[in-house]
Amino acid sequence: MTTVAAPSAGTALDRVDGPEKVTGRARYAYENVPADLAYAVVVQATVSRGEVRAVDADSVLQLPGMIATIWHENAPRLAPVEDAELTVLQSPRVAYRGQVVAVVVAETLESATEAARLLRVDYRPEPHDVELRPDHPGMYRPDHVNPNYATDSELGDPDTALAFASVVVDATYTTPAQHHNPIEPHATVALWDADGLTLYDATQSTSGVRATIAPLFALPPESVRVISPYVGGGFGGKGAPHAQVVLAALAAKQVGRPVKLAATRRQMFAVTGYRTPTVQRVRLGADEDGKLSAIVHEAFEQTATIKEFAEQTTVVTRMMYAAPHRRTSHRLVRLDVPVPTWMRAPGETPGMFALESAMDELAVACGIDPVELRVRNEPTIDPERGLPFSSRNLVACLRGGAERFGWAGRDPEPGVRRRGRQLIGTGVASSTYPVYRMPSQASARAEPGGGFTVRIAAADIGTGARTVLTQIAADALRVPPAQVRMEVGDSALPRASVAGGSSGTASWGTAVLRACEGLMDALHRRAGDVPPGGLEASADTAEELRSQRPLSRHAYGAQFAEVGVDLDTGEVRVLRLLGAFAAGRIINPKTARSQLIGGMTMGLSMALLEESVMDLEFGDYLNRDLAQYHVAACADVRDVDAFWIEEEDPDLNPMGSKGIGEIGIVGTAAAIANAVYHATGIRVRDLPIRLDRLIGGGI
Amino acid sequence: MDFLRPVTWEQALAYKAERPEATPIQGGTDVMVEINLDKGRPAALLDLNPVAELTRWSTEGTEIRVGAGVTYTRLIAELGPLLPGLAQASRTVGSPQIRNRGTVAGNLGAASPAGDAHPPLLASGAIVEAESVRGTRMIPITEFYTGVKRNALRPDELIRAVRIPAAAGPQYFSKIGTRNAMVIAVCSFAVALHPGERRVGTGIGSAAPTPRRAPEAEEFVAAALDWEGRSPLDPGAARRFGELVAGAAAPIDDVRGRADYRLHSLAVMARRTLGWAWNDYTGRGPA
Amino acid sequence: MTAIVRRSGGNPTNAPDGGLCLALSDMGSSEATLSSAIRTETTFTVNGRRVQMELDPRESLLDVLRERLGLTGTKKGCDHGQCGACTVHLDGRRIVSCLTPAVQVNGQAVTTIEGVAAPDGTLHPLQEAFIDNDALQCGYCTPGQVMSGLACIAEGHAGDDDEIREYLSGNLCRCGAYAGILAAVRETARRTDSRVGEG
Repeated sequence: MTTVAAPSAGTALDRVDGPEKVTGRARYAYENVPADLAYAVVVQATVSRGEVRAVDADSVLQLPGMIATIWHENAPRLAPVEDAELTVLQSPRVAYRGQVVAVVVAETLESATEAARLLRVDYRPEPHDVELRPDHPGMYRPDHVNPNYATDSELGDPDTALAFASVVVDATYTTPAQHHNPIEPHATVALWDADGLTLYDATQSTSGVRATIAPLFALPPESVRVISPYVGGGFGGKGAPHAQVVLAALAAKQVGRPVKLAATRRQMFAVTGYRTPTVQRVRLGADEDGKLSAIVHEAFEQTATIKEFAEQTTVVTRMMYAAPHRRTSHRLVRLDVPVPTWMRAPGETPGMFALESAMDELAVACGIDPVELRVRNEPTIDPERGLPFSSRNLVACLRGGAERFGWAGRDPEPGVRRRGRQLIGTGVASSTYPVYRMPSQASARAEPGGGFTVRIAAADIGTGARTVLTQIAADALRVPPAQVRMEVGDSALPRASVAGGSSGTASWGTAVLRACEGLMDALHRRAGDVPPGGLEASADTAEELRSQRPLSRHAYGAQFAEVGVDLDTGEVRVLRLLGAFAAGRIINPKTARSQLIGGMTMGLSMALLEESVMDLEFGDYLNRDLAQYHVAACADVRDVDAFWIEEEDPDLNPMGSKGIGEIGIVGTAAAIANAVYHATGIRVRDLPIRLDRLIGGGI
Repeated sequence: MDFLRPVTWEQALAYKAERPEATPIQGGTDVMVEINLDKGRPAALLDLNPVAELTRWSTEGTEIRVGAGVTYTRLIAELGPLLPGLAQASRTVGSPQIRNRGTVAGNLGAASPAGDAHPPLLASGAIVEAESVRGTRMIPITEFYTGVKRNALRPDELIRAVRIPAAAGPQYFSKIGTRNAMVIAVCSFAVALHPGERRVGTGIGSAAPTPRRAPEAEEFVAAALDWEGRSPLDPGAARRFGELVAGAAAPIDDVRGRADYRLHSLAVMARRTLGWAWNDYTGRGPA
Repeated sequence: MTAIVRRSGGNPTNAPDGGLCLALSDMGSSEATLSSAIRTETTFTVNGRRVQMELDPRESLLDVLRERLGLTGTKKGCDHGQCGACTVHLDGRRIVSCLTPAVQVNGQAVTTIEGVAAPDGTLHPLQEAFIDNDALQCGYCTPGQVMSGLACIAEGHAGDDDEIREYLSGNLCRCGAYAGILAAVRETARRTDSRVGEG
């Protein structure tokens, strides 16, 4: 094994699973068919709060092909765990409309669907409360916010600074509930045998599902195997297990047969998580040159009665701009609503819509170019943590993006550029995302017949992880990528962290690299000789991560948008979107570009289209299908491009990379809203930028 | 759920007479949504696909008779010059996949206020040819829509064809949506000039419990237009036309848009489409 | 928050007095018919292979392909004709298989993603172009995108970028790979038809 190959990292290697995916051979969770399979379909509560009094299980059991009806009175008991989203069918309580109250199991999907439709459930309903208001009497201060940040922060005397500031922006922004809507619905196939429980699951973390599900069924983790080689999009929604995983396992246990269960698209609006709506008040105090003296950012959000999820909306404001006086806070209210969860860049996405809109308002108020305003407020150290930045190239992104976008000479006057019946405008917003790295394990094996197998329970949810890890391994093993077989997506592989927090490449890449280095050492010791049984090395990065020195580590970016707004109808079209990013070393420019542009596309969608509308009377999301919850279609995405600035940062990880899965969505909506203001003179502070918000606003 | 598979039209009528609760299904793009989303489950499906005659269209005098099985795709490809307003509306229906299966008759059967075919049918003055074993009824389109997702068909009747006067003048359709494609109308509008009769036809979609015309707007503008001299459209008259169209609507607030936005945008679309149509008529080309 | 009127569906189950009420988990149909599944004999071809089966009329073509024929390349995304992941060709035209009752395809020819590559496994040029242009991420919408892209080219709707975008808008990609998908279709259309105009 002395082949010397040119480094693969940095080259645009085609997605290694491309052939599987373009031919339809890639097998997703629901497509696994153990022998003797039965179909399960869930029944959802039709009250928003109350109790299930009775389920008429018997009459549907008369239907042809029916196997079982499972509800709280006959469901297998689960071990008590803290996460009430997962302790399904254990009590008569209904905590939100759409919560699962029963599961029917039948021989065919059609029979199960029909039975679920016909199942009679009696409720004792109670009045519900589903309306998020910042002045809700139930607002409380959570102990911490996701994942483990301080709830509030304060530095200096922001109130006095605001009182004395020459220019003050004080505005309230809102973002609606948003649903991930991966095209693959959440699905699980559960199978019990002598070894325990096997789950084919659509998940961003096979190790995580195993660790979470095992205790529910009082099993040791080794008795649960979670297999998930392909995942049809996650965006955070498949980050932690939701009810359907437990329901599938529970149903399979009850009927003594393998069971398949998928949430339907409509069910997903209640049972698989969403991004909390937010109400955010931002106050900025500055001198006439736009230099900030005070930043105050307060967020009001909802969570469910059965589980707390506190989106870290204002945490990003703690490090974004310099100002001596500052305060951030989060307040939550528990409502009779489904459980919110991580959704692509939780915290940064809604938070930066508000902060970057406010910065644009400040630029207008001060008469300063919005790019220049941001440059003027660039901090030299992390303003609240007081730590140096490992690297921070926000200014380079702003300047480089401005140049490529053609920002120079922009007339700041709003509402004056016309092209036919369209008003034209441009806008900018900063972008950022933290650098996370989590402990993981990996193994690397030299095969006796040649070639290498590298194993890690990572998840490739479309990020390109399988491809990028192949490149990292190939370089460490000094072979071309074709000689590396990468195995991911199975909890039987060495334990790995979740595909979340844009941490995959950094976390798993470190483990893969160390395992490969270990294998190379072992091979060296054997003078390159691979024994008949192969040679394997493994690595665990827990220790290495603990020794990482404290620095403020973030990726940065700048987003530029050009929009056209129909003067008469308020229809907004994004004519151009350009993202400039500084995210460490880019390992695969092809898949990285897709990640960045993909995030920006979701940001565009968020800006103009996405909104889950709460039905206050019925207490559920009203527009719960893809005909009514619009996500951007091909025709909405015209000229979207991304580029990056070369960034050397030795204080990250051995690859020198920062995460790129989420930064693309951060700031996009603000850039578009700022461009809409520039086009029309109307400041839209409530997402999405609906047609009727512009026309009502008086174009 | 039974599945009835007639091969001839007569068989289809006989089935429908025997099983009036059967839901006719052509492309399935409306019916299957209801089934898949559990909004209801018909006792029987009556598949009209094998009835070959329904997939034909023909010219009968000045009328185009479009069989109930003619898909949107074919309507766009084959009937664009004869029925431009309906062809334009058809092009905005769902996706190409939906248009390969969906039919105008299906849109009529579902009678959703947001159906894209309705406004141009209203503007043209279409007639729905409904038939049962008892005989044929020619239902004027204005009498066809009876309520939200309700129509004038009797339980034993099937739509055999839609009869639409061939365009005798310019026709336009306009639709507002948040997305650039795959959009359910926030609201929509169609206009048809009938120069021979000195008449203007209108159709409003998604802005009232049923698709409807704007009779006052039609009367006003027919009188205001200079049919003889073909002088340019008076902006004041166009504005008034828009107001009267909006005045004919009765929209609600919903997920897709507020009522006041719908009224505003209807007036805009009415003004715009009238302008395009009048420019075509007067030979001035697109505005 | 805007006041919203609910247009259809959803029985008001919160009794005004807060007392007991009954709810059928049936959203709209007034009659809960315990319908039995009456099977209908159906014959069609899938990727050239003749299939004859007794079908439940409730089964969509999508479910028959996935659950009964093991052709899982065609994906289920929404059951609603909105996402296009289930796109297949029926007698050469693209359709959404989720809204097509399988019994309806009697006597017709279905082509799925499994029938696109050559029998020896050689990828179709459009499949190659999807890989080259990284026109996919999670891969779940990809088979539908490929089927739609093939149809878009065959229909002559790949003339310029705007036309391609419009005619591919029936296939949602939540990962946001639209730019790559557009490029792949454009490139393949040009390669297969020299008359195709500029993008």
